[in-house]
Amino acid sequence: MNRAIHAAPDLPWKATTPDQVRVYVWEWPIRFSHWVLVITIISLSITGYYMHSPYVTARGHEAYVMGWMRFVHILSAFAFLLGMMVRLVWFFLGNKWAHWNQYIPITKSRLKGFVAVGKYYGFMAWKPVAYIGHNPVAGFAYLVVYAMVIAEILTGFAMFSFVVGSPTLKFFIGWLPRLINIQYLREIHFLIMFGFWMFFIHHIYTAILVSIEEQSGLMDSIFSGFKYVPEDHLAHDLAETDGPEEAAREAAAVSASSHKPAA
Amino acid sequence: MNDSNEIELRDVLAARGISRRQFVKFCSLMTATLALPPRYVHAVVKALDKTTKPVLVWLEFQDCAGNSESMLRSGHPSVGDFVLDLLSWEYHELIMAGSGHHAEAALDRVVNECKGNYICVVEGAIPTADDGVYCTIGGKTALDIATRVCSNAAINIAVGACALDGGLVRSNPNPTGALGLSEAVPGLTNLVNLGGCPHNPVNTAAVLVHYLTFHELPELDQYRRPLFAYGNLIHDQCERRAHYDAGRYVEEWGDEGARKGWCLYKMGCKGPEANYNCPSVQWNGATSWPVKAGHGCIACASPRFWDTKSPFYDRLPKVPGFGVDVKAEEIGWIGTGVVAGAMVAQVVGNIVRDNIKPKDTDGHNHPPAN
Repeated sequence: MNRAIHAAPDLPWKATTPDQVRVYVWEWPIRFSHWVLVITIISLSITGYYMHSPYVTARGHEAYVMGWMRFVHILSAFAFLLGMMVRLVWFFLGNKWAHWNQYIPITKSRLKGFVAVGKYYGFMAWKPVAYIGHNPVAGFAYLVVYAMVIAEILTGFAMFSFVVGSPTLKFFIGWLPRLINIQYLREIHFLIMFGFWMFFIHHIYTAILVSIEEQSGLMDSIFSGFKYVPEDHLAHDLAETDGPEEAAREAAAVSASSHKPAA
Repeated sequence: MNDSNEIELRDVLAARGISRRQFVKFCSLMTATLALPPRYVHAVVKALDKTTKPVLVWLEFQDCAGNSESMLRSGHPSVGDFVLDLLSWEYHELIMAGSGHHAEAALDRVVNECKGNYICVVEGAIPTADDGVYCTIGGKTALDIATRVCSNAAINIAVGACALDGGLVRSNPNPTGALGLSEAVPGLTNLVNLGGCPHNPVNTAAVLVHYLTFHELPELDQYRRPLFAYGNLIHDQCERRAHYDAGRYVEEWGDEGARKGWCLYKMGCKGPEANYNCPSVQWNGATSWPVKAGHGCIACASPRFWDTKSPFYDRLPKVPGFGVDVKAEEIGWIGTGVVAGAMVAQVVGNIVRDNIKPKDTDGHNHPPAN
């Protein structure tokens, strides 16, 4: 978890501004689970809404519309589970920006940051608060999303256990239908889908906003993993979490590796 | 109890005009219902031939007698005909000749003389509010009767939704504090629940036959319901399932789909969440069952079905805290619309802020330190 964080060499085709360094923020398991969740949430929503209220009229004698919808939904559900499991593991094995403590604003500085970011979104501040990883509000939003993902997985597999009657599945999830009636599990499962849609709209908006305001390549970073951040900003970020001694060492490493030839 | 113990079953049946062939057919039905291999038919016939008419008492509490009716009017010859002759029914308010103190004396005699050897069937819910005064028979509360009779029975069979978990009587707001047998008299280890509104007499007969043949209860699920009857989803056994998979649904009552027998999923059919053997055993001598007749399943064999499976004509229950006419999908779409609107407002706000902000506020703030 506490692997050395340092600036990566610049890419020959992508110029950084003189004071920016290229930092590997989102490691591959983060990006993998992100895109798996994106794709599966889309496919699960399309097929799941049909399973709630069939909106396609079947034609012909060989129609198998619901059959295919259910097949894609169940297949996507297992991919969704895989994506979330990778993310859960990376809460503990990932770098500092992927660590679980980034999602729960309980430290003093994260709480202060939560207020500061809230002020910016509430139009009570001129300048955004720049974080290399998630800002505390974003982190908390993702905590809610991960909770929704887990709730969808639990309710979904509880319903699936009714269909397949597998003792293994019943062993893992059989407790849930005893606590909450299957119909309410179904309703929770359906309503949380709208929670993902709400988050989806909000997420795209803030990603575009922060990309524009911070000029840090945020949108690129979910594809490549790299963000472009001011050198002093990285030093500040490292000092905040790692303590002064280690931060000094890391900052030295950063300035050494990001040394640029004169233009 | 009486002289009929010594009379052979085949003679009794013959006296009622039921042939040996019909009896063996009944045994085959029971074997098939219990999901036993055909070779067990022989064992069932042999065991039933040798039964010495065990005593049965049928208790009715907060009920509509629908389960008794279902048992007695199930076909020709009815399942009830066989069961009435297999067992010595000593007490059943609906059909017994005696009444008043004579009837209650018969029940007392069974409990005292056949302790631990009789079969007890319970129909109806048991009220527990206000010391159980909402259902009393012969001056005793239903709870007292059930506790005394059921605790001394060889096996107890709770028939119908009300005896399973309180059923209609217990549905919200449950003014009488009604409970099912398993909750009203906790700790009954020899209990079989046969939910359903009403119970299916074929299943009840099958449980009795299983007990008479093997001298033990069939395998039960977590609600103490036999797996042979409650082990599979209605949806998986439904004759309209092919239409469901194809995507052909009844959109409104009486439309083309309804006339062609398409799937009733969109009309709120609860088949996908209900476990019962209704589609295979069926009713009235296996002529029909609700979905075959064109109405969606209401999951009447599921626990607390009045509260948890209603509204019967909608896919999902009402969302708590919202009006009765508000559907879950309306809440979802409106919520999504509100968020989309808020984001549009944010975009406008950001454009305004970027245009009016002072020159020296470019860039960004560092996160606050500790």
